Amino acid sequence: MKTIEKMCQKARRKGILRVIIMSLVTVTLMASLFGCGKSDTAPEEEKDGLIYVPEYQKLAFEARYISQLAPAGDEAYMAAMVEDKENEGYKTVVYQYNLLENTAKELSIADLDGDVNVNAFLISGDGNLVMVVNQYQYEEDENGEIVDSSMTMELRRISVDDGTVINSQDLANVVDRIENSYIQYLCEDGQGNLYLCDGDQGIHIVDKDFNKLCDISLDDWVDGMAASKEGDVYIATYNENGMVLKKVDVAAKKLGEAVEGIEDVFGNVGYYPSVSKSLIQSSSNQLKLIDLETGTSEELFNWMDVDIDGNNIEIVGELSDGRIWTISREYSEEGDQYELVYLTRKKASEVPQKEEIVYGALWLDTLTRRAIIDFNKSNDQYHISVKEYGNDFDGSQVAQFNADLTSQNCPDLIGLTSLDFSQYASKGVLEDMYPYMEKSGLDKGDYLENVLKAFEQDGKLYGIVSQFYITSTLAKESLVGEENGWTLSEMLDFVEKNNPENVFMYGSRDSIFRYCIYNNIDEFIDWETGKCFFEGEEFIRTLEFAAKFPEEVDYNQEEEGISARLRSNKVLLMENTVSSVQEYQMMNGLFGEKVTYIGYPNSERKGNLIQSSGGSFGISAKSKHKEGAWEFVESVISKEYQDSLVEDNYGWGFPIRKEALEKQFENDMTPEYYEDEEGNKVESSKTTWGYDDFQMEIMAATQEDVDAVRGLLTSADRLSGNVDTQLTNIITEEAEPFFKGQKSAADAAGVIQNRIQIYVNENR
Amino acid sequence: MHFPKSRKGQRMPRFAAHPYVKENNLRSIERNTKITVPSPKRGRKSSSNKKKHRGRLISAGYLLPSAVGVLLFFVLPFLIVVYYSMIDNPISAQFVLFDNFVMVFQNAAFIQAAKNTFTFSVSAVPLAVVLSLFLAMMLESKIPFQSQFRTFFLSPMMVPIASVVLIWQVLFHFNGMMNELRSIFDLDKIDWLNSGYAQVVIVILFLWKNLGYNMILFMAALSSIPKDILEVAILESASPFQVFIHIKLRYISSTILFVTIMSLINSFKVFREIYLLKGDYPYDTMYMLQHFMNNTFSRLDYQKMSAAAIMMAIVMVIIIGILFLTENYFGKDVEG
Repeated sequence: MKTIEKMCQKARRKGILRVIIMSLVTVTLMASLFGCGKSDTAPEEEKDGLIYVPEYQKLAFEARYISQLAPAGDEAYMAAMVEDKENEGYKTVVYQYNLLENTAKELSIADLDGDVNVNAFLISGDGNLVMVVNQYQYEEDENGEIVDSSMTMELRRISVDDGTVINSQDLANVVDRIENSYIQYLCEDGQGNLYLCDGDQGIHIVDKDFNKLCDISLDDWVDGMAASKEGDVYIATYNENGMVLKKVDVAAKKLGEAVEGIEDVFGNVGYYPSVSKSLIQSSSNQLKLIDLETGTSEELFNWMDVDIDGNNIEIVGELSDGRIWTISREYSEEGDQYELVYLTRKKASEVPQKEEIVYGALWLDTLTRRAIIDFNKSNDQYHISVKEYGNDFDGSQVAQFNADLTSQNCPDLIGLTSLDFSQYASKGVLEDMYPYMEKSGLDKGDYLENVLKAFEQDGKLYGIVSQFYITSTLAKESLVGEENGWTLSEMLDFVEKNNPENVFMYGSRDSIFRYCIYNNIDEFIDWETGKCFFEGEEFIRTLEFAAKFPEEVDYNQEEEGISARLRSNKVLLMENTVSSVQEYQMMNGLFGEKVTYIGYPNSERKGNLIQSSGGSFGISAKSKHKEGAWEFVESVISKEYQDSLVEDNYGWGFPIRKEALEKQFENDMTPEYYEDEEGNKVESSKTTWGYDDFQMEIMAATQEDVDAVRGLLTSADRLSGNVDTQLTNIITEEAEPFFKGQKSAADAAGVIQNRIQIYVNENR
Repeated sequence: MHFPKSRKGQRMPRFAAHPYVKENNLRSIERNTKITVPSPKRGRKSSSNKKKHRGRLISAGYLLPSAVGVLLFFVLPFLIVVYYSMIDNPISAQFVLFDNFVMVFQNAAFIQAAKNTFTFSVSAVPLAVVLSLFLAMMLESKIPFQSQFRTFFLSPMMVPIASVVLIWQVLFHFNGMMNELRSIFDLDKIDWLNSGYAQVVIVILFLWKNLGYNMILFMAALSSIPKDILEVAILESASPFQVFIHIKLRYISSTILFVTIMSLINSFKVFREIYLLKGDYPYDTMYMLQHFMNNTFSRLDYQKMSAAAIMMAIVMVIIIGILFLTENYFGKDVEG
């Protein structure tokens, strides 16, 4: 009996142990599957941590363009082009800007009128302004033609108090071949020596009395120059290791070694004086403080997190009260828009909390960056942060993206550009957006339905664009007729019948082969039955057709321009885009007669392809913030945003909303006029377009032009670049032995058939 | 050391609890002192149990890091794979039970991969075992340049895999050395890596890479066979063939099992070389199960990949089980 009891006890103990182990395993399993990743709310440390909060201000003066900015403690000096009402033009004005109070005082600077430009300036240690000015001088004959011109460049020290010139030096005495130089950077070291840099030619150093000390030659282009807090001058250059920072060593008359610990940065990079550390480094993505003594850098924030476009940063500085200030510039045809932003460090808990939406994409394009910043500034409930995975050179970025999509770490909004949209749609990664459109009261009839259709699968909308253009093939209408679309065999027949020197202007056998196959891959694969037809006559004919053309193109060979060759039918086709009505007009001019956008060869004769020009968006099916993600998508297809694309002429391509598209067409058809000498109203060109050696003045578009473009935009319903690179790589790799004469076309086709058949079988 | 306590809580004298004290003496002490003492038999048992318990705890302590590692890096991922194999896809995660297994089993690419993997393992593994055993036997006998041969066969192990692949490309490329050699004899070029010969090339590559290691294992096993038994056999006029079959083969049976299992595992890992040679989608005779799993993983078809992995694991367990049974049957008399 005792033995039985013991056994029971043992079994019970074992049972308990088993239960504990199983529970542990289950809990860990569940945690790994469901519990990890981001949570809805920010973690505690982040909540109680310090964050930078932006405060946006208008500049205290109105300027068309600010040419120079120089920080000086809590002040800044700005040289700006402002309207000169007296002379009905523009003049350069220097402002002393009080950054603590956001006020500007105009300084009266002597000899700064007429054709004088300020190239570079700074506030010297003695409190005066030091500037490089250039003056363009010319002589005109009786007809107003310029017969003689010259440019002088001068270094001036100017009193801030009364604007008088204290000292000046003709830079011809300092810089050799001054006529070829353009001084871009000016810095002062701790001893008052001045460093003038003209990009890639050299650094010219003068003492505080403007006497030349030495020249230092440069091997690389200079991307920035700044004086550190310690009183040394550093330059930033790009070399094979990326961006490096080097000290300018006056005693040794050369550049020092690259400063260690400076990470590679890219985009709009600038270096500015710092109060707390050695230097401030700003790039398109982040703002950092650099400590040159320790060779370390500290990231203060990501520009996107404070809703500022890092590409627009003009200057950054630190104020005595600990705030960061910056001026950003947004380009506009009517005059650049400047914004002064103060960034104050606050406890995260003191700042109103927003729900965080993550936008994940391989990279962030300019239009999307702008749209996200606008959304973040205007939306009180959601804030979008950006996760860029990087250019997918080796596939690892897409692999990481895929891993995130299947985990709890998935982005809420997905930038679909350069990703396999159809794969994500078919795997259920993306959310159907039609119900959201309906809920928001958006009528899909207000949008180009063919573009929406391109992002559809089984009647569900898995992606959307705000702006798009068409990629296509152009040919003379007189040769191919006015109908869009052709099959591969029709295209081959056409070329063989007309027997041109080349199919395209710079057509190599690889490019022609790619042209025939890559946007037409479904002609050789039947996904329904899983059969491939690469061993068929059509594919072998294509291989043999492409083999007739040169292996490599000699771009340097002097021959006729593209327009002449197209007009004489030496070249028959041209791969190009339709991003505006003007481009369509130019192409008709280039060909010398009406063109047909016949498109890429395709078995269904649907060869005009849609390409996004301002980001394409999808919502993750696993997102916890689908409503917020949709709010962003809704914002970029809203009437206001779509109209702004036309009115501000921002980005390129066509808006997806029909009403905005018609507004764009209306603008394209509105003629512009000028008055001739006799006072007659004469139509003037709207713009000038060019391609290769061809240039054309573009007049207002005709109704016929607009109808042709509208027809093109409303007929395309396939996405460009939606072919798996695995397939194209196999074809390219195995076609090569045939092109090199090592194998017959049939043998090469056989291997392609064999390898692609596995791909097809695997994906069924 | 724990001492038994009296009812009043007094600590017992040291001798009272000593296991070697005779039972009678203990009884007299018990009478005189009127305290209850556990019998020496029970005391011994209790102490032994405690020791056992303590020993187990210590063992568990030592085992814990490994157990946690195995749990985290083997058991848990395997359970996750089981989970993925039973859902429709990793995004919607709807349970479909065995549908994925049925789907994968009907997939032409999976069948092709399974067939190729089976053919490769069936041809490469026995060759790897037999040839390495032959080489070990050869090097065991007194032949000239013994150490040079040993180094020669071991050298592929030192070559990085990227270099191995490069060498193989130079040899078996369409314009490679093998075809150059054939052209000397006016033979047509063969596209080694894009034809039915592809698997032969991979078998050769596998043998070249693995023979040396297997050979060393066999040499060690052969040298550990008791010399007296071999001498007796020779005195009994046994032929070398009889010595090999009846003595050597039986003594090295456990090594044969080990080498077979290692070769089998390595044969599944030949994907690495094929991938470096021909990428994700090689010629169909080189397409292995790991290609299928790798490709389905990168296309987010985790459910297909998991179902294939589980089927492969089941087959592996069965094969290794059979090998163990075989070894147990043939080698039991020499292992005691």
